[in-house]
Amino acid sequence: MSRSTTVPAPIIAAARASVGPEPTPAAAAAVGATKVYGKGDTVVRALDGVDVTFDKGRMTAIMGPSGSGKSTLMHCLAGLDQLTSGQVVIGSTDLTQLNERQLTQLRRDRIGFIFQSFNLIPTLNAAENIRLPMDLAGTTPDARWVEHVIATVGLGDRLRHRPSELSGGQQQRVAVARALASRPEIVFADEPTGNLDSRTGAEILGFMARAVVDLGQTIVMVTHDPVAASYADRVVFLADGRLRGQLDHPTPDTVLDAMRNLGQ
Amino acid sequence: MLRLTLKNLAGNRVRFALTAFAVVLAVSFVVSSFVLTDGLRQQFDGLSAEIVGGTDLMVRPVEPDFGEIPSLPGSLVAEVAATDGVAAAAPVVGTPDNAIRPVPPDGELISTNGPPQVAVNWVDDPALSSFTLVEGRAPAADGEFAMDVDAAATHGFTLGGTYDVLTPTGTVSETLTGLTRFGADNATLGATLMQFPTASLQRLTGDTGVDSVAVALADGADRGAVQAALASLAPGTEVIDNATLLSEQQDGFNQGISIMGNVLLGFAAVSLFVSIFIIYNTFAIVLGQRTRELGLLRLVGADPRQIRRSVLGEALVIGIVSSLLGIGAGALVARGLTALFDALGASMPDMALVISARTVIVALVVGIGATMISAVGPARKAARVAPIVALRDGAAAGTSTGRVRLAVGTLILAAGLAAGGTGLFGASGTATVVSLLGLGAAAVFIGVTLVSPVVAVPVTRVLSWPARATAGVAGRLAGQNAGRNPQRTATTAAALMIGLAAVTMALVVGESVKAELRSTVASSVTADYIVTEPSGNFPADLAATLDASPEVAAVSGFRYEEVRTGAAADEIEVTGARLTEVPALFDLDVTQGSLTDWAGTVADPVAVAETEAVRLGLAPGDTVGMDFGSGQHRDLTVVAVFADEYVVESPYLLDLSTWDAVGASDADDFLSFSLADGVDGARAAELVAGLTAAYPQVDVDTPGQFADKVAGFVDQALTAVNAMVALAVVIALIGIANTLALSVFERTRELGLLRAVGMTRRQLRRMIRLEATLVALFGAALGVVTGLGFGWAAVIALPDTITETVAVPGTRIAVLVAVAGVAGLLAAWGPARRASRLDVLDAIAA
Ligand SMILES: Nc1ncnc2c1ncn2[C@@H]1O[C@H](COP(=O)(O)OP(=O)(O)O)[C@@H](O)[C@H]1O
Ligand SMILES: [Mg+2]
Repeated sequence: MSRSTTVPAPIIAAARASVGPEPTPAAAAAVGATKVYGKGDTVVRALDGVDVTFDKGRMTAIMGPSGSGKSTLMHCLAGLDQLTSGQVVIGSTDLTQLNERQLTQLRRDRIGFIFQSFNLIPTLNAAENIRLPMDLAGTTPDARWVEHVIATVGLGDRLRHRPSELSGGQQQRVAVARALASRPEIVFADEPTGNLDSRTGAEILGFMARAVVDLGQTIVMVTHDPVAASYADRVVFLADGRLRGQLDHPTPDTVLDAMRNLGQ
Repeated sequence: MLRLTLKNLAGNRVRFALTAFAVVLAVSFVVSSFVLTDGLRQQFDGLSAEIVGGTDLMVRPVEPDFGEIPSLPGSLVAEVAATDGVAAAAPVVGTPDNAIRPVPPDGELISTNGPPQVAVNWVDDPALSSFTLVEGRAPAADGEFAMDVDAAATHGFTLGGTYDVLTPTGTVSETLTGLTRFGADNATLGATLMQFPTASLQRLTGDTGVDSVAVALADGADRGAVQAALASLAPGTEVIDNATLLSEQQDGFNQGISIMGNVLLGFAAVSLFVSIFIIYNTFAIVLGQRTRELGLLRLVGADPRQIRRSVLGEALVIGIVSSLLGIGAGALVARGLTALFDALGASMPDMALVISARTVIVALVVGIGATMISAVGPARKAARVAPIVALRDGAAAGTSTGRVRLAVGTLILAAGLAAGGTGLFGASGTATVVSLLGLGAAAVFIGVTLVSPVVAVPVTRVLSWPARATAGVAGRLAGQNAGRNPQRTATTAAALMIGLAAVTMALVVGESVKAELRSTVASSVTADYIVTEPSGNFPADLAATLDASPEVAAVSGFRYEEVRTGAAADEIEVTGARLTEVPALFDLDVTQGSLTDWAGTVADPVAVAETEAVRLGLAPGDTVGMDFGSGQHRDLTVVAVFADEYVVESPYLLDLSTWDAVGASDADDFLSFSLADGVDGARAAELVAGLTAAYPQVDVDTPGQFADKVAGFVDQALTAVNAMVALAVVIALIGIANTLALSVFERTRELGLLRAVGMTRRQLRRMIRLEATLVALFGAALGVVTGLGFGWAAVIALPDTITETVAVPGTRIAVLVAVAGVAGLLAAWGPARRASRLDVLDAIAA
């Protein structure tokens, strides 16, 4: 078995420990993360030496103005994109050391995704979409866990429906359930409520927060909405590809304040 | 809007290329058949000119409207030469192709399947001869012959060598005295051309007459006057001039070329038909992908007519560009076909590339026409896109099969079946039958295509079961993708269906014919051996040789000849054999009278087939009048009525005594013989070995071997059909690859998502390949079902003397389906690779 699928012992220990309330080691981290697009005149430093850690069993929001590098950071953390320099670590795995195949397996086995839109395969029904990563891995899902997740996001009667038969909010719930179902070490969400009205968005964020509290899930969420960010345990602020500050136990107001300060 | 049209084309080069590709393909086949036949025609026109050469006038017998063309007395040549205004006259004596065959030094006969082996008489006068001596001297005496220099080199004949030569009157020994050149540069197109002294050739063919007399006019002679004078020399002759001769010669070749051209064109028509499905599909998919863009256009104020015109404008540009490309590609295909035929042993001449104005016009009409026809439906659909679509998110859901489509499909299907049925059972006249069958088949294919989306989902689901069982989620997704847009799957599969239906039909007909053949041979042939000669020049003395052999108990040659009989003087073919020997050779199932009991009491006996006997109320003792080609008349006495009409193949079986007495053709078509009691296997083998040594051109087979051989011919014919169909299948596979490439493009985001949540590249490739396999298998299944129907109808429609039972070659069909599936897998190679290389982030962002 390849390295990426072997969960290192410290992580297992940490996972066991995470049952308790005690603060836990980092689930993911970026060290000197730099991402450069283009050459010469058109060069863009989307990430410019970002150092950041994401705590286990917590939801962390990444905020910043449009173009500040939020998505780029998330993609690099999730093994979807490669850094120009620096390091990204999930658990104790250094992603910069992995090849394409290993990255794919890492995504499949240890990471969950929620995108802003187009999260689901149109030909698969809700239940099949939720099981997709495990089906791809050829592993049998933990039925009780999956039921639990489905119950948590409240999808019971919609499982046999195709994405086209679901509302935008329902689709995002399926996406959340899929991200949680395989018990990934970490879930990345890129503006998961960006396409939803505020009430539906609040519902989804509620599920995500519950997953953190009830299921001990680690979540990293990109957002530009202070209300969304307030569901997180901590907010990190990006601007021009650099880390500009952090905020614990955010509320919409404190987030807005922090953003205003950043703008200056 | 025009600018938009052009921008669209420029902006979507891949889609443009994929659409154009299908058109180019279709056009190139049409063009290649024209280029090939035009090239051949030019080549053979040159050959005709060489053959006719300097002959100013030709005296020849008038062709009778019935019976063989008589030959002219040899004495006529001198009379012609003595006529005023004639500078020179030479006899023309020819032989049927392959009637005279030189045996190469290695003993291996020159094949009669390739270019012919032709012997003519040597003519000294260069004005009247197509041949010029290159080396050695002209053949002058019996036992001497000349050969064209290239054939001699090819087959290893050397000047001065003595070789066995097979002739209608037996095998003789001939010395090669001269090497000759045909025309200016010996453009024989691979034929083996031999020249013998006139008297020698007459002796070898057993005919002392001449075919015609070639005439060179004296300088200043009045052509018309000479022509008139020559015409009055002998009754029953005509005098034709150089121009007529040339055009007759060319027509003769052109007939053959036209047959080949028609076969190629028929093939091109099938390719075109298949291509239209692909072009249509490509347009439909590409426009489907542009639905949102079209909605946006509508939103900003384009009216449906403008949209439609824009789409049709695109089609027009694609049609023009790809037709022009198709002309170029067609020239290349023609070259390729020439090389292919060459490789298959059909020795093609080096041809100039002839691209006539007609070829270009037809190519443009076909290419633009096919593209426009294919684009009409998608353009109408595009025009109906509602502006609101621009504002909707998400992938367009798969379209459901409309009731209208189903109803129209069913109607077309029914019309096709009706046309086909009329063609098979009701219509007369080859042209009517062929066009009814063609239209019927086309309508059935279109009908099935329109109706088949209904079954696409359940069928692909069933077919995908093994994939789901073995390939996990990739297999399941493949199955669902194949069933996701049933119309698209059906149209893609339809292209493959057409080819497979044709093969299946051919297989069913072939198998049925073979089955009938074997059962007849088993039940009706009592002879120990059947002797055949593949080129149709059966050695005349073989029957007599066998008759004299003590090991042989019964022997008879079988001959065929046209006669006139009945009140209406109908021309029919009758069979000749030694009646009294027949019962020892074939069991004809004699129901009345006897084939043997007439000897000594009846002068001209005849056995009548039961259906004819019933039709005319004939019974043993009745007489049947017959006029023979030689002009003689006989009243034949019915001695027997037989029920098995498979062996004799004609309603009347005459005795060879009558046959010889009326001067009917003395050439056997085939021969069979039985061994005397007590001749053991070793002696039989010895006999057969002696026979094939003395007559290397014949095949001696036991009935079982004979059945195998004929079955082999059937298979050979099937191979030819299969080769033609193979190209249609290749086009269909390109269609599958095309559709898949577009689907991959369309599903970029979905594929990106799959990769993001952990699908490996291998799983992705497998998914796409399996999808293609499923579409191919669906097409194969449709094709096999349709083909079985066609085959069944064909067997029912064929005369019972060919076959009356439907036999289905199950294994071969299963192999065919499997091959189609694998081919689908291969067709997906490119798109699958491309899909697996998509950058995940780009794909998600798409
Ligand atoms: N593929 C790319 N090529 C070039 N520049 C890019 C690419 N992706 C992102 N960028 C640039 O990198 C910067 C950060 O982008 P992104 O991470 O998408 O920002 P955010 O998600 O915070 O809006 C932006 O200036 C953007 O234009
Ligand atoms: Mg972003």
